[in-house]
Amino acid sequence: MVSELPWDAHTGTLKRELAEGMLNPACSHALEAALQVKEKHGGHITVMTMGPPMAEEVLREAIALGADRGILLTDPRMAGADTFVTSYILARAIEKMCPDFDLVFCGCHSSDSETAQVGPQLSEELNVPGAAYVEKLDLEGRTLRIRRLSDNFLETLEFELPGLVTLTTRHYAPRYVSLSGMQQAFEHGEVAVVQAADLKLDPEFTSRKNSPTRIMDVFAPVAQNKNLVMKGAPKKIVEELLEKFDDKIGGAIGKDLKQAT
Amino acid sequence: MDFNPTMKHNAVRKTVRKFAESELGPIAHEIDRDARFPVEVIEKMQPLNFFGLQVSREYGGAELDTTSYAVAIEEISRVCAGVGLCVTVHNSVGAFPIQRFGTPRQKERFLPLLASGKAIGAFCLTEANAGSDAGGVETTAVKDGDGYIINGTKIFVTNGGVCGTALIFAVTDPENPRKAASVFIVEKGTPGFSVGEIEDLCGMRSNPVSSLFFEDCRVPAENLLGREGDGIKIGLTALDTGRIGIAAQALGIAQGAFEASVKYSRERQQFRKPLASFQTIQNYLADMATEIDAARLLLYRACALKDSAKPFSAEAAMAKLYCSTTATRITNRAVQIHGGYGYSKEYDVERYFRDAKVTEIYEGTSEVQRMVISRAVLSKLT
Repeated sequence: MVSELPWDAHTGTLKRELAEGMLNPACSHALEAALQVKEKHGGHITVMTMGPPMAEEVLREAIALGADRGILLTDPRMAGADTFVTSYILARAIEKMCPDFDLVFCGCHSSDSETAQVGPQLSEELNVPGAAYVEKLDLEGRTLRIRRLSDNFLETLEFELPGLVTLTTRHYAPRYVSLSGMQQAFEHGEVAVVQAADLKLDPEFTSRKNSPTRIMDVFAPVAQNKNLVMKGAPKKIVEELLEKFDDKIGGAIGKDLKQAT
Repeated sequence: MDFNPTMKHNAVRKTVRKFAESELGPIAHEIDRDARFPVEVIEKMQPLNFFGLQVSREYGGAELDTTSYAVAIEEISRVCAGVGLCVTVHNSVGAFPIQRFGTPRQKERFLPLLASGKAIGAFCLTEANAGSDAGGVETTAVKDGDGYIINGTKIFVTNGGVCGTALIFAVTDPENPRKAASVFIVEKGTPGFSVGEIEDLCGMRSNPVSSLFFEDCRVPAENLLGREGDGIKIGLTALDTGRIGIAAQALGIAQGAFEASVKYSRERQQFRKPLASFQTIQNYLADMATEIDAARLLLYRACALKDSAKPFSAEAAMAKLYCSTTATRITNRAVQIHGGYGYSKEYDVERYFRDAKVTEIYEGTSEVQRMVISRAVLSKLT
């Protein structure tokens, strides 16, 4: 993902050279969950990203943290993909490079576009059970038990591997990268580059042409300077305030107000 | 000549920046105010190899190249210069001399402890009568059986208050002090070795700088680093590397002050316009940006020379001289841009201003750096 979204209205794409790429926060939680599963149960972690060549950096960072190998899907023909085409390409890559996968870990959404669509679409493409907004997971044999947030409820679900989960940022706080890990990731980390031809995509296929949806524009909403005066008894006003704005206030201070009241 | 940082350098920068901003950012003001060494953050840094940045992997280090090392020091110092000082002195003059001059046995004994951060390293050269004049050292190490007895006082020792091992520069042949100085590895807890009070300094206040006292302190012969008389050689080599670290530290301070100035210029309005719309401020920012870039390039050039195993003393001295003087100039300008608020402890720039000054003084004053550079200039044949 990118740190900012400078939009080029002419080409209908992101001005990537102005924004700095970074590992998506939710994905770093997903990676941490995967690392903990590997520490507890063993396993082999492949990290994958689709993007411009500079996206290799996040793969190296993941390898520094403990992933075993990285796959960079990069090709001009893949650029400008919407979430549908992204999921399609990722699925073909997983089928080719990780055919015997047990569990795919995704971030619940990217912090730049926040569609949260790729994870669920990917599980459909791979034809495996998938669960989104997972907070905690436990593996027993081939059964994965997950706890996830759905509206304001917590659900506990189970499915048999292989499957896919998308992780929220509530748990699995990412560990820091060690500098020795970083050095070794760059020195002898395994990163494979995969292009459209390697996936045997249709020769006529390009993401831009084949994406069923197109982003028309990206803009920051103008802050509203509307004064709201609430009159009445303090207790009533506070209740009304929380009822109308608890999500906005909670979002601003980073706390779940429903839990506090 | 490729002036672009590699992907690895960018990755190192981001990762250290993230750690520094999360762990040191929230406490930088407090630990400066209270002169507190943040043990709880040091403990978090230990497993991440901050204390073994260039130590070989076989001893638990990260084996980073010198440019990555400089980037790491810069990023820590950009947030908290006092901790940046701890890390760079530990790496450059605490651990590196042992890696470079130690016997296999010494490396095995000390490097894993140092690289893991379980022991913090210190380098003790300065005395009351020996600052820039290193030849004026009066601490003695007299051979006695299978060991040496050390007597003397070292002052202004960075990390002194918390060091686990200290490299002591002492005279082994009192008859000929300007020739026969040696370096000894002295461990905390050795009888006769004690630590003085922490100094109350203008800046770098989170670093426990103190005096170290040696009273009939006996160290075994196997703690002699190199051979008797190698003191000058080890000292100069250590300081060459140290200069790169201090230059990186000064660069980080300058960078932090510069970024704060840009941010403030955008936000602060006077005469109904942001400061950044005034040409005077724009000129200040342009000068600051140019000087930082020049300092950065000098530093990375010295790093590249060191990694190519080419001589780099003069270039390291240039980098240290320029980065430190740039830091004092830029932090001074940064306080000015912030106006009255810049003088208040409510903003960070006054801490950067206080922290910057000492980078022109320690590990060879600017005047000493000029001695090194002019010697290189005048020794050229043409």
